[in-house]
Amino acid sequence: MKLFLLACRLLGREGRSGELTLLSFALIIAVTSATTISLFTDRLETTMASQASQFLAGDLVVSSPTTLSNDWLDVAKNLSLKQTMTAEFSSVLMENDGFLLASIKAVSDGYPLRGTLKTTDNNFNHEENVAQGPQPGQAWVDNRILTALNLTLGQTINVGEKKLILSKILTYEPDKRGNLYSLSPRLMMHTANVSETGILKPGSHVHYYFQFTGHDDALNSFKQFSKKRLNPSQRIMDIHVDRPEIGTALNRVQKYLRLSSVIIILIAGVAIAITTKRYSERHFNSAAILRCLGCTQSQIVKLFITQLIILGFFASFIGCLIGWVSHAGLFTLLKSLLPETIASANPLATLFGLITGMVILLGFALPPLLQLKKVSPLRILRRELDPIPTQSGIVYGMALLVISGLIFTFTLDIKFTLLLTLIASLGIAVLMGLIYTLLTGIKKLESHVNLNIRFALLSLVKNKKNTAAQILAFSLTLMAMLLSFSVHQNLLNDWQTQLPKNTPNHFVLNLFEHQINDFNADLTTHKITSQPLFPIVRGRLIKINNQAVQKRVSKDSQGQRAIHRDLSLTWSEQLPDGNVITTGNWHKRTRPFEVSIEQKLASNLNITINDELTFTIGHANINATVTSIRQVNWDSMKPNFYFIFSPDSLTAFPKTFITSFFLAPENKTALNKLAKKYPAITILEVDFILNQLSVILEQLTQAINYLLIFALIAGLLVLAATINATLDERLHQSALLRTLGANRSLLRKNHLFEFASLGFFASLFAVLLHDLTSFALYHFILKITYTPNILLWIVVPSIGTAIITLTGLWNIRKVVNKSPLSILRTH
Amino acid sequence: MSIQSDNLSETIICAKNLSKTVLTANGSLTILSDIHLNINNGESLAIMGTSGSGKTTLISLLAGLDAPSSGTIKIDGQSLTTMNEDDKARLRNQFIGFVFQNFQLLNNLTALENVMLPLEIIGQPHAKDQALNFLERVGLSHRCSHRPPQLSGGEQQRVALARAFVTQPSILFADEPTGNLDQKTGNTIIDLLFALNEENKTTLVLVTHDQLLATLCNRTLMLENGKTV
Repeated sequence: MKLFLLACRLLGREGRSGELTLLSFALIIAVTSATTISLFTDRLETTMASQASQFLAGDLVVSSPTTLSNDWLDVAKNLSLKQTMTAEFSSVLMENDGFLLASIKAVSDGYPLRGTLKTTDNNFNHEENVAQGPQPGQAWVDNRILTALNLTLGQTINVGEKKLILSKILTYEPDKRGNLYSLSPRLMMHTANVSETGILKPGSHVHYYFQFTGHDDALNSFKQFSKKRLNPSQRIMDIHVDRPEIGTALNRVQKYLRLSSVIIILIAGVAIAITTKRYSERHFNSAAILRCLGCTQSQIVKLFITQLIILGFFASFIGCLIGWVSHAGLFTLLKSLLPETIASANPLATLFGLITGMVILLGFALPPLLQLKKVSPLRILRRELDPIPTQSGIVYGMALLVISGLIFTFTLDIKFTLLLTLIASLGIAVLMGLIYTLLTGIKKLESHVNLNIRFALLSLVKNKKNTAAQILAFSLTLMAMLLSFSVHQNLLNDWQTQLPKNTPNHFVLNLFEHQINDFNADLTTHKITSQPLFPIVRGRLIKINNQAVQKRVSKDSQGQRAIHRDLSLTWSEQLPDGNVITTGNWHKRTRPFEVSIEQKLASNLNITINDELTFTIGHANINATVTSIRQVNWDSMKPNFYFIFSPDSLTAFPKTFITSFFLAPENKTALNKLAKKYPAITILEVDFILNQLSVILEQLTQAINYLLIFALIAGLLVLAATINATLDERLHQSALLRTLGANRSLLRKNHLFEFASLGFFASLFAVLLHDLTSFALYHFILKITYTPNILLWIVVPSIGTAIITLTGLWNIRKVVNKSPLSILRTH
Repeated sequence: MSIQSDNLSETIICAKNLSKTVLTANGSLTILSDIHLNINNGESLAIMGTSGSGKTTLISLLAGLDAPSSGTIKIDGQSLTTMNEDDKARLRNQFIGFVFQNFQLLNNLTALENVMLPLEIIGQPHAKDQALNFLERVGLSHRCSHRPPQLSGGEQQRVALARAFVTQPSILFADEPTGNLDQKTGNTIIDLLFALNEENKTTLVLVTHDQLLATLCNRTLMLENGKTV
């Protein structure tokens, strides 16, 4: 307690002298960014997750070909979960001599539990959000049903044997699934009318979806209960599996935000390590005096660590407060882009900032501070007696341990953490080697250069270890900033390439061969550019190398879902755009019965090159040999296929055609004209999926930009800290030189050259480290192909040198301006 | 805590066969060899000698700031040579005060805080009152809140004197206490040092180049090339 009080008093006295300002500032920045990011990502993730659950219309969805038994639903009721049910099936609608295959969706009261429906009357300008599906006796339909069957709102429509009143045009449903072939035009009705339609008989093809919402604990218990009860045809749905396009974007962004946090903390950590090192060195004398006055070694350690902890706690607390304000500011800034209600802040997320602050403070500041323990009391008589420095292994080891711990906390990915730690350790070791070699080279130059730069070279090589640490700190900081920026840039580019401006937003299905020429001509008239037309034959994969395919699949896999339904089989002479062959060769035009299979399905079904696949098409079976395996970008909004045959393999079977095209919203009327002229075709409007996606991406991009500011502030802080760390020595040297007659211009030239060299080499190493780390990061984690940017090798050294030189000169301006006498007196 | 003794002839510092050898790039270098020394309680001893004769080394060994290569040192009967660093620190806190040529005050602390520091380390209550009392005795009660850089050399050394005496040590080691001061200021400091020494019955071990100052002490020890002469 006495020691604690003494530590408090000493800390107060130190604080008054300004000795701890930079250290506190570094810590505040670290904690501010950690708290901001932790709070922001936490709330954004919760919001996004709840937004994502809108895409399933519930927090938890069970799909089943039959209704769930009552005891099952009772469990949900007992857990106070809200529940709704939808049933989806196909039926042919016949009105006014026209007929159309429609996808019927019957919804119960309360649907949708998450998100809203959007409807309109005949005037398309007025779209309204509706929280509830149609009432019994009513039907809401896609506009295409009205056009194709020549109906208007207010009239009736027969669904099976039941007459329903057409009351609204349905423009948006939150849980519309992207399975293109289930997306015939929609008719939505109430479940109460289903039995009256007489469509559903035992054995009918129908999908039931049971949606549930409620507290996380209750949902989890229900999920556990459901998992045990699931039969092979039932499934618990998940946003990442069932809406992969949204799941992937969310995943990447989460990874990015967390990586950014680690990067900012790393930079701030470097600043903390540097400022503590200086703090510790400036306290060698104090420690010696304290030892002389009777402090034991352990008292010295306790005294300084207690001060550090008290300081850490206060700085972290301030950081948390600023972080809280800053994250609130971030949400205000992005208000227009974010959903109206943001999930409330989790107190644990704030606490996380505080804990992170203390951990990085101890991880980065403890090793340099421990040096104070080794200060000999004899130093009081012999000032040259510096304590043995804390072993570099311990210094870097602690930092590495803390950073690895943080990376693991942020990513929960042990493989990634180990990989990154290994690369970082190797990188630092190699970098240190390079820096030492460089400095040895510079030393040889020393005697050959004139006085204008000789002192600059002398300062660089005099204390190799210090210079190397400085270059390393600059390099790491620049590298981290660069990484943060370039990952951000590549992520954006990747998204933009994924969804370029004119991404197809409409699909056309069921086009017949004889209509192709007319249809193409019509598209040209409406100035629509379409993707190539692909023929489609519906068929099912039944055998692999004469073995029943069922034996190859695992439950709930993509494979299982793919073999339980008819697939769209196509053929093509060319490899479609966006497809990449990963194994084998694209089939020969002249050889029929060769097939290319999509990569994930191939690995799921364990299919390799030269396997013999048997398909059943109508009543016939055909065999084909696998000649290539393809990677397919399913998010591309172009027709994509699991199986593409060589030409002439499927010509004997009846076929229709599919294509996709981009249609601007103002050009929508063209759709009605096409639908009227080709009544049998199905047009799928997927613009809403694209809209959802682009809004999410835009929001997240803004958030990411905001985080870059923290990286920048932290980076500048490292520069200031590093330069400050050598200030005492520079002051002393310049005072001596000026006493000996050196003018300020000579000193300035020397400083300019020294900082420019530091900046230039640090920038070069930063680009090198950046390229290496990026490669690992992209290749293993983000799964994006990394293309090194040659421009970086020119731009970064130029800007880096300029920034470091200017920051350096600014920070040491008093070295050349202060009177030599006053410096020599205080040093 | 001070050592209570009425008998001035009682030995408080006893050094036998004291030697200090250090390893340099050119082989080993003997700084002190075979020093025998007894200092009685309340006695004042001046250690004199040319630069490099080993004065500072001797005082640092006697105060437990450094360890001898061979020989033994006893302070009030306790063997310094068998103590670990922490025991020596405790001993310094309880028995020993220091005054240095370059004052060795903490620049971040005020004059008052500097004087309070040794008392605070042992957690003594009323540290402030005692420190104020000693600052008054060295004539600096009006400069309590000034920090060392704001004080003159003489004032800094007076603060150092107050800090040295505030724990009421049994032994005071002074390493050229006037070395950095002009003649007049130096004299003031010497007067003050001896007055406080007299008042507190402290044993004084003084390293100096100043013959006059040495004559004020009970005894003088001359060192030459690490040996007593």
